[in-house]
Amino acid sequence: MELNSFLLMRHEILLFSIILLLLIAELFLPRNKKSSMIHLALVFFGIHTAVGFLPLAEGSLFGGMFRSNEMIHFFKGVLNIGVFTLLLQSAQWLEKNMLKQDRGTEFFLLLFASLLGMYFMISAGDFLMFYIGLELSTLPVAALAAFEIMKRESGEAAVKFILSAALASGVSLFGISMLYATNGSIYFEDIMSTLTATNLTLLGFILFFAGLAFKISLVPFHFWTADVYQGAPISIASYLSVISKGAAAFILMILLFTVLKPLMHVWEPLLYILALATMFTGNLFALRQQNMKRFLAYSSIAQAGFILLGLVTGTQLGTATVVYFVTIYIFSNLAAFGVVQAISSQTGKENMKDYEGLYRTNPKLSLVMMLALFSLAGIPPVAGFFGKFFLFTAAASKGYYLLVFLAVVNVTISLYYYLLVIRAMFLRKGENPIPFFKSKIYMKLGLFIAVMGMLALGLYSPLYDYIYELSAAFN
Amino acid sequence: MEKVIFYLLAIIMVASAIASVSSRRMLRSVVYLLFVLIGAAGLYFLMDYNFLAAIQLTVYAGGIVVLIIFSVLLIQHIEMELEIAKSSRRWFSALLCLMGLSIFLGTIYSHPFAVAETTSTTTVAEIGRALLSFEKGGFILPFEVISILLLAAMIGAITIAKGGKEIKQEVPESLDIDKILQDAKQQAEEKVMELESSTKN
Repeated sequence: MELNSFLLMRHEILLFSIILLLLIAELFLPRNKKSSMIHLALVFFGIHTAVGFLPLAEGSLFGGMFRSNEMIHFFKGVLNIGVFTLLLQSAQWLEKNMLKQDRGTEFFLLLFASLLGMYFMISAGDFLMFYIGLELSTLPVAALAAFEIMKRESGEAAVKFILSAALASGVSLFGISMLYATNGSIYFEDIMSTLTATNLTLLGFILFFAGLAFKISLVPFHFWTADVYQGAPISIASYLSVISKGAAAFILMILLFTVLKPLMHVWEPLLYILALATMFTGNLFALRQQNMKRFLAYSSIAQAGFILLGLVTGTQLGTATVVYFVTIYIFSNLAAFGVVQAISSQTGKENMKDYEGLYRTNPKLSLVMMLALFSLAGIPPVAGFFGKFFLFTAAASKGYYLLVFLAVVNVTISLYYYLLVIRAMFLRKGENPIPFFKSKIYMKLGLFIAVMGMLALGLYSPLYDYIYELSAAFN
Repeated sequence: MEKVIFYLLAIIMVASAIASVSSRRMLRSVVYLLFVLIGAAGLYFLMDYNFLAAIQLTVYAGGIVVLIIFSVLLIQHIEMELEIAKSSRRWFSALLCLMGLSIFLGTIYSHPFAVAETTSTTTVAEIGRALLSFEKGGFILPFEVISILLLAAMIGAITIAKGGKEIKQEVPESLDIDKILQDAKQQAEEKVMELESSTKN
């Protein structure tokens, strides 16, 4: 192994250096200058994001334990932009509420550690690295959910999250042990050639799948979602629903389309049923939510159902549409959570009722929210429409007409509750609407990136072509 | 002979596992758990995985159980007993567990496992080399990433443990109007009495 082959791990090495630098900076910075930590972390991560887009070679390291190709590289870049936007959006909350309590640097350290875990999970070439990546991406988030420790709900959310996450990863590990028992190897390459559908393998696969389904919050494993989102700080709810879910969906796609491809006749009907259950449950529960965080939680469960729709196909078109859809979903949800964050960190209000008459007082914010919700619902001018449209095309091209029909029914249901929020903002007057306020520059920038991402992905078609080209790597 | 030892260990493990989850006192559960872990170490010895058995004894039976006992003692009183679940719920979960057990055992026993032919024990030197090797079958990358995981876990634990200053909420305490009115009335009456007494004098 030569020294320059480490360049393949550029993302990971850079991010870990940032973690160490911040850790050291925290030690030496005087107490009254802690607010400059936020700027420092933002600058570091901005550089990391920019460097991440330089081209990278394809290959694998450590005997196949770590692998990278252009698709993985691209997705890491998307995650970077997502986290950068999220950091911009949460800077105000950190500065206003958290710095007084002498906490702030830990937020970045834990968030970056979790992101590092996602990198390793995506790049994993064997089940061991996958499992460690999964743990590294989950464990710090539990501490982050308890970040507003003086609030009771925050601690409660953290306990709920860590208990269900521990159970899920335990189940997943049990499944992996069964796959190892039947195949005699933990390397993806080796398993691919020996995998056959014996009973024990199937049991192992289902247990393993349950662990990932927990992270994407598919329906039988979704109970933690709404409670944790509501109790945790908004930044963390946003992180869980955007970055964590996006990365988990991506790794699920890689695993299903490469390692577990021999079991396709098993996971196809499984995903079919789970997709329907997830869409219907998410949408029907979202109808009656009043708290914005709970509302977005159920909406994100429903979106996970749509992701499965693309996974069912197992073709190159499926890969491309899933990646495209997940990327759009990341930006749309970031914009929606960003607006909730902006309003909450300014006024502390989180209910749908408080949003009544928002257009009269804060027209720009409500415009961003409208675009985000349109994109999530799939209304033409924004990217979400193309994302859903391509997903349906991919599923229909494999002959899943009934599934596509039921998905369209679900889009209609979701349109209703997304428009409820828009009605509250634009048409209702409201007794005491949120007064006009000006957001800080970071928040503005964060919302701007999210909106630009939504518009660019929808209107600039070479991006989709690029994703389609890359997705040849997994088929 | 091996079979006898195996079944002896298995019976000890299963019995103490059941005792561990059904005991109503936390501390006793932990001690029963200790027997399960020691039994597992015995199984490793039986399979000639000496290093693994030693690690199991030192890390799990030695370290982790002590940690659990510490946290139980810090959080709870020793005399405190856990609540008993409703009997209907107990039967239901017992039924579910048995169903799960039968599914797992059925699948595992019906699987045609290939019997491994190598019986040579792994030496500590080999394990050490594999741990730091970057070829296929080496574990240097997981080894390093786990250390990052430990770092993150420590930072997370410190973040939670260090707590936070209470933020003063600006919401007034719930108004007890009756009490306020009564107090005001009492004060007014006292004033009137005072005035009356002063005018009399």
